[in-house]
Amino acid sequence: MLIKLVVWTILAFLLAPLVIIVLFSFHDSPSLSFPFAGFSLRWYEELLGNPQLSAAVLKSLGIALLTAVITLLLGATASLAWLRSGRFGRNLIEAVTVTPIALPGLFVGVSLLVLFAQAGVQLSTVTIVISHVVIAIPIMIVAMKARLTLFDMSLEEAARDLGASQLQTFSRVTLPLIAPTLISSAILAFAVSFDEFVVTSFVAGTETTLPMYIWSMMRRTVTPLINAISTLALAFSVVILVGAWAIGRWRRSSSISGRETS
Amino acid sequence: MSLARTRTSAILAGPTVAYMLAFFVVPSLILLVYSFWSSASYRIVPDFQWGNYADSLMSPVFWKVTFNAIRIGLLTATVSLILAIPVGYYLVYISRSQVILYLILITWFSSYLVRIYAWRTLLGTNGVLNTVLLQLGLIDHPLEALLFNSFAVTITLVHVYLPFCILLVVASLSEIKRDLIDAARDLGTTSFGAFHRVIAPNAANGLIGAFMLTFILVSGDYVTPQMLGGASGQTTGLLIADQFRKTGNWPLGAAQAFIMFAVSVLLYTILLGLGRVSGLIVKRRRPTASAEA
Repeated sequence: MLIKLVVWTILAFLLAPLVIIVLFSFHDSPSLSFPFAGFSLRWYEELLGNPQLSAAVLKSLGIALLTAVITLLLGATASLAWLRSGRFGRNLIEAVTVTPIALPGLFVGVSLLVLFAQAGVQLSTVTIVISHVVIAIPIMIVAMKARLTLFDMSLEEAARDLGASQLQTFSRVTLPLIAPTLISSAILAFAVSFDEFVVTSFVAGTETTLPMYIWSMMRRTVTPLINAISTLALAFSVVILVGAWAIGRWRRSSSISGRETS
Repeated sequence: MSLARTRTSAILAGPTVAYMLAFFVVPSLILLVYSFWSSASYRIVPDFQWGNYADSLMSPVFWKVTFNAIRIGLLTATVSLILAIPVGYYLVYISRSQVILYLILITWFSSYLVRIYAWRTLLGTNGVLNTVLLQLGLIDHPLEALLFNSFAVTITLVHVYLPFCILLVVASLSEIKRDLIDAARDLGTTSFGAFHRVIAPNAANGLIGAFMLTFILVSGDYVTPQMLGGASGQTTGLLIADQFRKTGNWPLGAAQAFIMFAVSVLLYTILLGLGRVSGLIVKRRRPTASAEA
């Protein structure tokens, strides 16, 4: 079928550069050419002995974790409010929380830089986390919205009619139903933060996150070390996505079984 | 809707709305105020003057890089949309393949810098493409022209933003009911005809949205032009970023950011206008919000 061929050609275009990076990360020679001089793990070994890199990775992991937790709390409450709101409320919530997704990172980055400068705030890990949350919330809200439109509000009403308190309704009915969506959205927030570069470069001050470290390496030379770091970063995002996907599947099967037994 | 419920949702939404007001709306407004301030010997002076806008609009360099940004943005957005439509069509109407969807998500979530680096590796003088072409005997000496021009920038930007564009197209096509297409097919149109006569007019708003979002993100991208653009591939984004990193004239950079923003809004209006005039965009009757009651 013609369209299938076209689709797979486009996918090949998207995937080929990544595959080549992974391939050359195992190349025994620093040159980026075929034929292959042989497989080796020498670039990975070199990475292991690099204290700056491990510091950058740890910093990025910490920032991503904080960003995911804050985004989860803010995104969850906003989504619950969105579920309960009329058209006006929904539009308002979406307008302030989703708009940053439609703006270049450059715009968000420089406006935050100007804010911090004007408020006299020293650029630090804190300013990076604040900025990453601004980037992650829109993605969280969009992901939640897609799932929550399927949420059946009558389930909550039924619980209330049966005498459950507001807190009981939330913890026994609402939370179990939306938890998997919340967790997979938080994982996306983590991934976004871990990879964020453009906004970070304006608000990081002297802090070095993993993307900032990769950037400084890229600017200096073309070293095969970058292939190895890139491969690890790629593997990490694949693991994160597969995790989010697995949780999404679990959600679907649990909500379906819930629907059938109810 | 009861009053209690409205209050609950207001309390729930409060922290998030406050956060976004403080760290998104307020900073944008401060940036706007900055664009009217002046900068004297690296000190920023509160002021109200149009000098930053006037200086930018009268600077040939600014127009050169802005035209470059618009050209690269339009080209990238056009190519991305053309590539995204068949993929979106396939995913929405032919096979809801989870494998394809997740391959696209993996490329979207794979590191932005890694992908830029990958293209530099591919297109470089001693890069993969050149060495393969040399070994095949198709060229005698490495092609220098592959890197550091707007071709390199465009192909990389397409690679970076295509996954996002595909997801937007999937979202906009998903809103069209399958029945409409089946009806058109039953009435004897070809699948291309069904796309042209049924899907395109219904999805036009969504597709234009996807095009514009891609355009805005691409034309504001400054990392790719810096890494792959060379001297001729510079864009407004890089000019603005440099104001905030090197030269340090923040008010000027702020004004340039808002000019870029105005250009995007203008382009969007023109596109919508063209769509209406050509009859591609038709006013649809929106389903009444019965669920609201």
